[in-house]
Amino acid sequence: MINTIATTANALTILVYAAIPLTIILVYALVAIWAERKIAGFIQDRLGPMRVGGWHGWAQSIADLLKLIQKEDIIPTNASRFLFKFAPFMMFAASYAAFAVIPFSSGYIGSNINIGVFYLLAVTSLLTLSIIMAAWASNNKWSLLGGMRSAAQMVSYEVPTIATVLTVIVVSGSLNLMTVTEMQSGNDILGFLPNWFIFQNPFLLVAFVIFFISILAESHRVPFDLPESESELVAGYQTEYSGIRWAMFMLAEYADMLLLSLLGATLFFGGWNSPFGEFMSGPLWGFFWYMLKGLLLVFVMMWIRWTLPRYRVDQLMHICWSILIPLSFINLVLVALWELIF
Amino acid sequence: MVNAMKEGWSTFKSIFIGMSVTIRHFFGPTVTLQYPDERYELPKNSRAKLYVNIDDCIGCNLCARACPVNCIDIETVAATADVDLGKTSTGNPKRFWLTQFDIDMAKCMYCDLCVHPCPTNCIYMVSEYEYSEFDRTNLVFHFSNLKPEMVAEVKEKAEIEAEEKKKQREEMAKKKAEEAKMKKEIEAKKKEHQKPGNDSNAPSKPDNNGGA
Amino acid sequence: MELTTILFYLFSIVTITAAAVMVFSNNIVHSAFALMFTLIGVAALYVLLYADFLAATQLLVYVGGILILILFGIMLTTQGKSLSFKTSTVNIAPASILSVAAAALLIYAFVKTDWKITESGVRDETVHEMGMMLMGEYILPFIVVGVLLLIAIIGAILMATRLSAHNDGEV
Repeated sequence: MINTIATTANALTILVYAAIPLTIILVYALVAIWAERKIAGFIQDRLGPMRVGGWHGWAQSIADLLKLIQKEDIIPTNASRFLFKFAPFMMFAASYAAFAVIPFSSGYIGSNINIGVFYLLAVTSLLTLSIIMAAWASNNKWSLLGGMRSAAQMVSYEVPTIATVLTVIVVSGSLNLMTVTEMQSGNDILGFLPNWFIFQNPFLLVAFVIFFISILAESHRVPFDLPESESELVAGYQTEYSGIRWAMFMLAEYADMLLLSLLGATLFFGGWNSPFGEFMSGPLWGFFWYMLKGLLLVFVMMWIRWTLPRYRVDQLMHICWSILIPLSFINLVLVALWELIF
Repeated sequence: MVNAMKEGWSTFKSIFIGMSVTIRHFFGPTVTLQYPDERYELPKNSRAKLYVNIDDCIGCNLCARACPVNCIDIETVAATADVDLGKTSTGNPKRFWLTQFDIDMAKCMYCDLCVHPCPTNCIYMVSEYEYSEFDRTNLVFHFSNLKPEMVAEVKEKAEIEAEEKKKQREEMAKKKAEEAKMKKEIEAKKKEHQKPGNDSNAPSKPDNNGGA
Repeated sequence: MELTTILFYLFSIVTITAAAVMVFSNNIVHSAFALMFTLIGVAALYVLLYADFLAATQLLVYVGGILILILFGIMLTTQGKSLSFKTSTVNIAPASILSVAAAALLIYAFVKTDWKITESGVRDETVHEMGMMLMGEYILPFIVVGVLLLIAIIGAILMATRLSAHNDGEV
């Protein structure tokens, strides 16, 4: 009896603990969708949404969410019902599960396991499968085309992503993201620069560029948004979706963006470490700095989205297989050499 | 190898040029006008809606005749002798009650042709452009400021006067006709004596109305 | 019951059900997705056995790699919309004999084996030990496997380039 109560309490604690990233993702998604529209507006000399909620239309995403929840849930007659219904939730579950190993601050990490990065990369590979699932279950040409492109793209770009993550692992010697972050605290480089990996080693800068390009492709952002290109594939695998299921796709996509940006911030920009050394550090400040770094990367992603046009499929594959992959492997060897010598 | 590096460099350069352009626009001013809250002032001579200063209208119907799409509909009633409608601001005397002055803005093509013939400059275009309606019959603007009972009264009066005038005219016409008859009879009598077979030929003459 | 036990049964049920769906489904794509659930369930069971690295590898390699390739193959090769096929039932007698024999063997082994139950202490250093072993004791198999994979990659590239060159020549 006592054991049961203890288990229940334990389970509740685990649930509450696990719900923290969920809260962050939900709030972030609302803000990010609004911000994306505002950024698009400002870059195109417009204002973006202005009317809902007063100041600069801040409640626009909330209104959109309410609308999406109320919408009819349409399932095509010839769709594969179970897979069609299941795919959006699986996609969100995959990107949410990956948040378990993200060290949000020095005081909070979902699961402090030793294979952190490896687990993250493994779990995000489920995203590809859920996209194929959605694409195939929709029974729609656009969807299937988008799903196939997505699969090809993500399988290809996983290689340079993993190779660049590996370069950081070579330097840090640990797969645990908390340890990786702790290794980057302090301000010793040139006397004032923080000990972030991006400043530690010139080849890690190259690694970061490759990593950033690959995560753009992995999270289906422009210029690599071929799986969901609105103008040619009618939003690809999302074509047949509506209402809350479509909202889940959107949420998963934005969560994926944040996840990969936060991973980049951990690996290259010192995670929750303050850029001013001891000044303004601590668990809460750590969370602030970490989110700031992650959101800055998200902002750059949005900025790129409204700057660059989309690549062709063959160009996409060319960039990955004949430029990024050789470059990332050469870079891996060079980083290892640098670590050996210095 | 050198070529590839050059290509890579130019790729990155062009990406950064593009991104610097977009970030400049990001921080630059926006050109959006928040319409219902802010509006552009249209120029004074803009043609957005027809307006009639009904106090100056003399009911001459020139605008209605000039309109190529017949969107102006005017009905006038002559003022009776006992009323003085006064003068317009340009000094023209007003002689008609304007019982109806409707402009159908759904038909109007903003050509400005009705504006120029007006002798008192009372019809003109204004810059007001927000008058969209859900029902197109609401786009007919009524400019006559007479109340319905007033219209009825005026019409009745005018009818009575017209009747009187008609009577007078009829009487006049009768008188004239009688005079003319008398004259004719006298002349006929004269003619009868001169040419007896002339009258029977007159109806068989060819009708040349079509040619006129 | 402990939370771990509940989770164990949950994932076991998921694994077994998905495996059954995979075998009995008439739609080859449904089978492939059922295989995905089986592999995820097995990965979860690995986690419960403190084999976290193996679990992540299972996800990355089998779910993220091989399964996607299988799906790719199915979707690129099958013609038309109908992906249904009949699960073959020709060899009922030998198959049932074989499976019964295998089941009997497994149950016999399970009952007869003297299971050594060790204390399930929390281990957090699997990666380090594994790395040491791969680079020390098992260096030869590791390198052989690496060379094998390299040969496979070179072969694949060779086939792809030959194919495209052939196509170019034709066009």
